Amino acid sequence: MTLDETKAGLDAVEEGPHPSERSTGSSDGKIDDPDGHPSVVALLLRFGDSVSGHRVSAGTQHVVWIDSARNLEILHWLRDDQDHQYDMISDITAVDYGAGRPIDVVYQLFSTVHKRALRIRCELPLDGLEIDSIVELWSAANWLEREIYDLFGVTFRKHPDLRRILMPHDYEEGHPLRKDFPLRGRFSRAEQTRRALDQSVEHSYIAEEMDLGRDPQQAAPIIGTKDGDG
Amino acid sequence: MSKRTVEFNVGRNPEMGVDGSVVDSPILPFDMPEPDLGTENMLINIGPQHPATHGVLRLVCELDGETVKRVIPHIGYLHSSFEKLGEYRTWNQIVTLTDRIDYLAPLIYNCAYVMAVEKLMEIEVTERCKVVRVICMEIDRIFSHLLWLGTTAIDVGAFTPFLYAFQERERIYKLHEAFTGARITTSATRVGGMMADLPEGWTDGLQDFIDTFLNTLDEIDRLLTRNQIHIGRSQGVGAISAEEAINSGFTGANLRACGVEYDVRKDQPYYDYETYDFEIPVGKHGDCYDRYLCRMEEMRQSVSLLRQALERLPGGPIDVEDPNISLPSKTDCMSDMESMIHHFKLITEGIPAPEGDCYMAIEGSKGELGMYIVAEEGGTKPVRWRIRPPSFVNLSVLPKLAEEHLVSDLIMINASLDIVLGEIDR
Amino acid sequence: MGLRDVLPGGGTSSVTGGMFGDGSPTFLTSKIDWIINWSRRNSLWPMPFGTACCAIEMMASAASNYDLARFGMERMSFSPRQADVLICAGRVPYKLAPVLRRIWDQMPQPKWCVSMGACASSGGVFDVYSMVQGIDTIIPVDVYVPGCPPRPEGLIYGLMMIQEKIREESLSRHFEHRAEDPSSVARPHANDAQVVGLTGPFGNSTQQEELSNKESGATEEPPEELIP
Repeated sequence: MTLDETKAGLDAVEEGPHPSERSTGSSDGKIDDPDGHPSVVALLLRFGDSVSGHRVSAGTQHVVWIDSARNLEILHWLRDDQDHQYDMISDITAVDYGAGRPIDVVYQLFSTVHKRALRIRCELPLDGLEIDSIVELWSAANWLEREIYDLFGVTFRKHPDLRRILMPHDYEEGHPLRKDFPLRGRFSRAEQTRRALDQSVEHSYIAEEMDLGRDPQQAAPIIGTKDGDG
Repeated sequence: MSKRTVEFNVGRNPEMGVDGSVVDSPILPFDMPEPDLGTENMLINIGPQHPATHGVLRLVCELDGETVKRVIPHIGYLHSSFEKLGEYRTWNQIVTLTDRIDYLAPLIYNCAYVMAVEKLMEIEVTERCKVVRVICMEIDRIFSHLLWLGTTAIDVGAFTPFLYAFQERERIYKLHEAFTGARITTSATRVGGMMADLPEGWTDGLQDFIDTFLNTLDEIDRLLTRNQIHIGRSQGVGAISAEEAINSGFTGANLRACGVEYDVRKDQPYYDYETYDFEIPVGKHGDCYDRYLCRMEEMRQSVSLLRQALERLPGGPIDVEDPNISLPSKTDCMSDMESMIHHFKLITEGIPAPEGDCYMAIEGSKGELGMYIVAEEGGTKPVRWRIRPPSFVNLSVLPKLAEEHLVSDLIMINASLDIVLGEIDR
Repeated sequence: MGLRDVLPGGGTSSVTGGMFGDGSPTFLTSKIDWIINWSRRNSLWPMPFGTACCAIEMMASAASNYDLARFGMERMSFSPRQADVLICAGRVPYKLAPVLRRIWDQMPQPKWCVSMGACASSGGVFDVYSMVQGIDTIIPVDVYVPGCPPRPEGLIYGLMMIQEKIREESLSRHFEHRAEDPSSVARPHANDAQVVGLTGPFGNSTQQEELSNKESGATEEPPEELIP
């Protein structure tokens, strides 16, 4: 890391963060020594054709890359099989390496029964940022996947409620945690302030919520919905 | 694994079923027919500016009278994009950001972050540093629980425990300040060690705190635990079963109150927690009252842990003695060329990381706090820094917990989840 | 017969000067001003718009150790309709900006605003896409309290400055004080010379060379009518 690169990182807030060019990140088909983690061994045996890589990271943590088309099936098996029983999903997140590289969706699993942790990664190409939602397996995935949609733009198929969670619902500048998104955002500060103040405070009564209070028999408008004052 | 089931039967609602489910006990006599009124459900908005939402949280509720039919939490009103900021900062510069995420337990976040980085870089810290970090984390666990206690009590109308809890927090503020110079935004850790060693006399201050804190806790206990109003408002409210809790991602005291013995300090131990003698309190019914009892007992266990940590606090260096990781001392820098070069490189460039990713989970005060770090070969800044906030996942369960409860119960449930919006929105 | 009729320059009153003369202080006005200002500044009801870490320090200021009740401010009014001073404690993202604006609008006059902490004053550490770079881009601010977070003593000092500001108010300049037109109140209009003059006696590190070049004893008096 040269001095210039470091300086550029701090000053270059107008562009996105320094994309990781040197990171191999992805699978490359390499399989590390799976011994010591029974789930990795079993995965390689049963779903060997869908496993595209494995690595032991940080000394003891096993990471397995799987085919993103089969994530639901494989995670289902990991959750329900008696020898593995990953009943807790600790975290779901995504990693953008930048420079046109695929985005990885990362699932961090933990089994309270066997006291084991496992990390599963699925690669998604930038022109195909879609993957099946696993909300039906773990309901914790609901908000975790919404956050990935909001910040990275990954669409989760069959997610019951896929909408922005941290940014305003009509945020137009893009998906903030992508590497090509500048730190200060794409609009000027004046434009951002103007848009913020233009937001109606009631607008968060989105389409689903506007139907909430409505009894099918009732014709009367409800305050706060688009039929009422709001 | 040692656990103690917390169960407190005094004044428990006789209408409660054996398995903890609430049995319908109507206020009106049974034979009075329900009048056939045309009703419609009401949509109300709580927050984001509200005293009882514990931060800028917005709850949109559909109410049938006073019963909550559906509640939808809206978050994002404190989104400060820590994770993106982290991609522009070197490893040690990020420590100052971590204080501001969970401002109720800053030392826990400081420790969690550098523990994840050290795990990625496979750095083993010194024995003294381990014990000092355990002390920091346990103090901040008490710190955070005290605020939870004060604000929960004030939400149900008890003002005095709030003042008592804040007076105890002032004593912890003084400890923070003596150690790091700041009351809240401590930034106490660095990769490979701490910002500085404990000042002289700090352990005496801590010993003083430990010796007298339990008196105040007992007083608050006397005010709340057997208080009929508090019991009436929290027993049977917001109950959830153990399987549903695990599946929804509940962690921390919320999960332990459901009867699940999951504590990261016992299940994925770090820093020799397996050698300390402590119990984790486990509840039974998964309601607000059990969460309250679990956290009260956790504070006592933390005091016991602090005592043990103080006893075993070893001497020796606090930072790893590797000049590629920890800053050399100033005297060395001024006299020795190599130290000066190391100092220069560490400050201007930072510590180079190996290729890889690392997920480090610790038991934070709110639940399982995870830090996921992705680094590139030789990188001095993270490629991705992800915080797995316990409150984020805990809050997502709120709609399930609050269904068919009253609005006032919704406030109690929200308080008992012990959320902090700083870490939810990051 | 409203306030506009008795104050100078107000409304369409045909009585020149009104009851309070032409704006210059008289015995009657200064006594009435004193009473009004005294009662206002000693019974401020803060509206705590706390978002993040500064809110915790604000809570600590209200608790027993630092005790805002000494100033008459223990009654934290969470309803803006009953509040006098808005303490914006913590960072404000753009998603929260319209809420802050609405809360400010809902507060009835006379009202003041304290921007507590670095994030509320200027965005603080967070020069990012989602953070408002200082709430004075949204609402008019009277006092800025720097710090990250400011100590409770710092917040108390800021509130005392509000009290000082109220002490200097006068009924004859009522409309000036209560004006909310952003172009006139949002930021102080001081030119560079005025800023140097203001900060000279206290030392301003950005102008060290300028100050050290001055003859001793040449620290000027700050100009009159600096900030209306």
